[in-house]
Amino acid sequence: MADFFESDEVTKGYDSRIVARIMGYLKPYALLAGLAVLALVIGTAGELYAPVLVKRTVDDALMVSWFAVDPRVAEGPHGQALALTPDDPVVGGRVYLKASRLGRLSRTERAALEREGLLDPVPCYLADIGPGDKVAREAAERAAARGKLVLDGRTGVIPLAELKSLPAADARALRARDARIVSANVLLLFVALAAVLAAAFVQTVVSNLIGQRVMKDLRMELFRHTSTRSLAFLSRQPVGRLVTRMTSDVETINQFFTDVVSAFLKDATLMAGSIVVLFALDWRLALATLASLPPVAVMTAVSRRKARDAFRRQRTWLSKVNSYLAERIAGMSVVQLFAREGASLREFEEKDRQLMRANLGEMYVFATFRPLVDLFSSVSTAVIIYVGASMLKAHILSLGTLIAFINLIRMFYAPVQDISEKYTLLQSAMAGGERVFKLLDSDEAIPDSPRCAMPKPIRGAIEFSKVHFSYKDGEPVLRDLSLKVDPGETLAIVGPTGAGKTTIANLLTRLWDVDSGEITLDGVPLRDLPLKDLRRAVQPVLQEVFLFSGTIEDNICLGDEVSRERMREAAEAVHADEFIERLPEGYATRLSEGASNISAGQRQLISFARVLAHDPRVIILDEATSSVDTETELMIQRGLEALLANRTSIVIAHRLSTIKHADRIVVLSGGRVAEAGRHEELLGARGLYWNLYRLQYGGGETERAAP
Amino acid sequence: MFKEYATLGPYLRRYRWQYLAGMLCLVVVDAAQIALPQFLRRAVDELASGNFTLSGILRIVAAMVGVAAVLSVGRFLWRYFIHGSSRRIETEMRDRLFGHLLELSGGFYQANKTGDLMARATNDLGAIRQATGMGFVTFFDGVFMSLAILAVMFAQNPGIALVTIVPLPLITLLIIAFGGMVGKRFKRVQEIYSRLSEIAQETLAGIRVVKAFVREERFARDFARANDEYRGASMGLAKIFGLFFPLISFLSGLTTLILLSAGGNAVLGNRMSAGDLVAMIAYLEMLVWPMIGAGFTVNMLQRGAASLARINEVMNTKPDIASIPGARAESPEGFVEFRDLSFTYPGSASPALESVSASLARGKTLGILGRVGSGKSTLLRFLPRLIEPPPGRVFVGGRDVRDYELAALRRSFGFVPQESFLFSDTIAANVRFGVPELSEERFCRVVAVAAIDRDVAGFPSGWNTIVGEKGLTLSGGQKQRVAIARALALDPEILVFDDALSAVDAETEDRILSALLEERRGRTNIIVSHRVSTLRHADLIIVLDGGRIVQQGPHEALIADESGFYAEIARLQELERAVERGE
Repeated sequence: MADFFESDEVTKGYDSRIVARIMGYLKPYALLAGLAVLALVIGTAGELYAPVLVKRTVDDALMVSWFAVDPRVAEGPHGQALALTPDDPVVGGRVYLKASRLGRLSRTERAALEREGLLDPVPCYLADIGPGDKVAREAAERAAARGKLVLDGRTGVIPLAELKSLPAADARALRARDARIVSANVLLLFVALAAVLAAAFVQTVVSNLIGQRVMKDLRMELFRHTSTRSLAFLSRQPVGRLVTRMTSDVETINQFFTDVVSAFLKDATLMAGSIVVLFALDWRLALATLASLPPVAVMTAVSRRKARDAFRRQRTWLSKVNSYLAERIAGMSVVQLFAREGASLREFEEKDRQLMRANLGEMYVFATFRPLVDLFSSVSTAVIIYVGASMLKAHILSLGTLIAFINLIRMFYAPVQDISEKYTLLQSAMAGGERVFKLLDSDEAIPDSPRCAMPKPIRGAIEFSKVHFSYKDGEPVLRDLSLKVDPGETLAIVGPTGAGKTTIANLLTRLWDVDSGEITLDGVPLRDLPLKDLRRAVQPVLQEVFLFSGTIEDNICLGDEVSRERMREAAEAVHADEFIERLPEGYATRLSEGASNISAGQRQLISFARVLAHDPRVIILDEATSSVDTETELMIQRGLEALLANRTSIVIAHRLSTIKHADRIVVLSGGRVAEAGRHEELLGARGLYWNLYRLQYGGGETERAAP
Repeated sequence: MFKEYATLGPYLRRYRWQYLAGMLCLVVVDAAQIALPQFLRRAVDELASGNFTLSGILRIVAAMVGVAAVLSVGRFLWRYFIHGSSRRIETEMRDRLFGHLLELSGGFYQANKTGDLMARATNDLGAIRQATGMGFVTFFDGVFMSLAILAVMFAQNPGIALVTIVPLPLITLLIIAFGGMVGKRFKRVQEIYSRLSEIAQETLAGIRVVKAFVREERFARDFARANDEYRGASMGLAKIFGLFFPLISFLSGLTTLILLSAGGNAVLGNRMSAGDLVAMIAYLEMLVWPMIGAGFTVNMLQRGAASLARINEVMNTKPDIASIPGARAESPEGFVEFRDLSFTYPGSASPALESVSASLARGKTLGILGRVGSGKSTLLRFLPRLIEPPPGRVFVGGRDVRDYELAALRRSFGFVPQESFLFSDTIAANVRFGVPELSEERFCRVVAVAAIDRDVAGFPSGWNTIVGEKGLTLSGGQKQRVAIARALALDPEILVFDDALSAVDAETEDRILSALLEERRGRTNIIVSHRVSTLRHADLIIVLDGGRIVQQGPHEALIADESGFYAEIARLQELERAVERGE
């Protein structure tokens, strides 16, 4: 449910420090990342190559045309420009050049050559008739017989218009070379498509794998980091928020790897690649294409800002509506008991309407941006066709190149759409990353720098000397507290609320550290002992029992360090076995969330068994303040006796029976020891204890001791 | 599937003009989209002919830009009409869903967990929006576009069109198949994801235990294992996606390949012009999207139907507790009576209450004592009809509770439930929850009686302190006291305390109780407790055991019955005290 209440900022602009830090997590997977980039490059190259193949097929095979020039042109002023070579086919004393070669001449030069009769303006087709190709030769001879084709050795010259009027079979036979080009290019296209398929698969899988691994690394780092912070830190953080850091915030970083990085790389490659190809095809036309970029860039920048605002508004209202809904569902009986149905519905409708406005706002931004980019792409295409046409007219461009341009423009514009869509993901990743790193940077741990090993065996002598402590500055909880507990002794601590009783347990297990003064175990200051060993030796039984969802066995052993026999012995000692064995699955019974399938008393007994199974030398028992019924009370009492036998124990007592069993009683007041002694002694002294006792137990209250 | 969609009828009817306008825009967009390659074809053919004029080309490209502009406007407008409608429908449905939820009774909320209901209000409504928005568009657009493009392609060259489109239906089938596979794997990923957050949640909630037993590493191992499983499941999904979209582009590339091969040969055989081929390549690209869309439409409509079914399930649940026609609109007075009331929870073998009879005069205080599970809370829940009693069993103000309008009946009660539920709002707003217009004077009075004022004075933001996840976490006792103030603010005819002081310490409890009874003098109170000391203040005490009244009477009378349960409990509690005193 934490998700429904999450209200942190969900978006953040690009931040290079965060990106750099996220990228740092890539280091162990450099090889995989290399593979992903390689696959990306291959895939992108394949995607770019495919339209080029289509273009070549159209240009080289389907729309090929030749023009005849007089060889004398070589001696003229244009010979240099046309660069005739001996390899150029010569038929009937005329040299044939491909249409694209004529593109080197200007329009006026061509007109001049035509006037001089050096250039024949009729486009022709040059058929290559192999010596073994009988079908082609027959077709050529048929055409030649009708005066349409001039045959010279293995070359047949036919005007394009005549070629188009030939019967299909003859035309095909004459164009056998073109058919071979088509087949070869189709085969190449298939290979390219297959390569794109394979590369895209590899790229997706590998980038997901990297994302997953990085996520695990991050989550484990967060988990270890968080679970080793001091309680002072953890108690300030709502659990739901910390869980969100480890789950959905990390998820946004994963999206950064799987969606954003690869998409940006790919889009950048595609754009750069198509620009390179455009320039390679024709730099003049490429420049014309690029002219349309600035307005697109401006539009993208504007829409990005609008999209971010709209997205933020949408998320805010969504979270408001959802948290309102979740809360009203959870507290429905309160709403109904107080007859607030009508008012709740009105409140909800108002929030829901705000959400709808935000949703529509987001929709308008995208509904405007996408069609606009499409329009720009069309305008760009129109400009290219027009400019291309004038260049074609001047014979400085081939038709195939123009067609390739038209295709490439679409490829050039696709990333623009994509990048702006991925930008919201980038923003989420930035925000998620910032929160994750903020948690990782929080450095509040209890220092663990042991100076000596744990004494063996531990006797269990505890001494507080002149301890000062406060949770918040200026609000001291313990002031100059000194007290001593002998090995094996049971010490009860009583006192009014806020006297600092629970704090003693927190300090003894070093969940917090003292501000000044010293606490020793067997004469050794606590901070000089290894933290883990200290916590194994001194264990608290907490006021509120916390059981994990899992089996009872699991909850007693907390892992595999405790043997089954020890567990059973412990359960028997605190009389927990009696009810556990009555359960259908005994120790293997699974506890539901909050352990609601067993009673409060039973939960308490399990927590006793847990402590006993771990056999600490010192126990700090923080009795629950909340009242339980009399039978449960008896059950807990029996368990307690077993728990406290033979060890040093400090009991923060609320029950009279517990106080009665203590060897000594310390009365805390205002953070220091007010009185100490045995029950009768203290009563006899008629001091604070006597007063507390009379106040609490004299007026009909029977179950509790000092609160 | 289509039966479920029938419930959408009224919504769709309300937005029929918007949908119609949207469809019109879609048709215009589609027509423009088909026309665009025609301009390209004409331009290319013109250029290929060799004898074109620049002004002719200019006319063609100017027309093309004009059509593209129409296309863009159309694209905006259909989104405006159709997405706008689907968003509005979603909002209306959510409002109605919440309105309906407000009427459903406790039994429903016991059977349906908050998480599940939230999933319906978020994921399912989202799926329905998808179906009524994008699903509708792809369906309509896909059918229209495919037919139109196919018509044009077949008109140009039927033979080539036929061989070219062979791989296209494969795309549709592929997406439908993938939809199923993705659904299953996605569910698994979600399950493991929630386990992952559960482990984190539990470890952090129980961090004191984890630290006290030095078990950080063990939980880290569990967490690492869940992470590995999550990776496994996610990779299963990633492989599907890794294959899915590339396979779609491969298949669509294949159609281009077939067209190039077949069309190329046709051009060589003088059966087709090169310009026609170029245009056909463009059409083909356009046909890919409707085919992809067709697959997604099927998935979207299926998911939408499943979600609608889940929403309908809630909407069709009749509130089992409602005002009966002709019910009285005035609120009852504080005279309470149970007559031979028996009740068994559905699905339970033993009755929760058996032949309970008791009555309490107006202005008196009733005490209820009993073990956990003896039926105390159940009995209380009949009074404001949180559980529906049979006719003629439960009376308030001298009439059957069923004779009152629900709201009128509940106005007579101020309830302090066992689990004090506060809303994440300011403390002041929580106190004023039932009476937003509560006067400042009354406010001060009730918070003083509930003894919450001193605590709040210590908070930095005072009464404006937000409680809950987003704000300050109150202690159990503080929450209970806010809940008491909230109930007192109503100044109810009957105040019900369901063991509402359990988390408050003894000193505070005494203070609250005496102030409360002083404040409530002359009104009816019902107090549940398992402490004899608390119940001594009551005029009448009933003792419940196993759903039966085993004793009833004033404190003195019950104490006098030495063999009774009440005296036994009193003695047990007394004994403890005596042991302490006797030493």
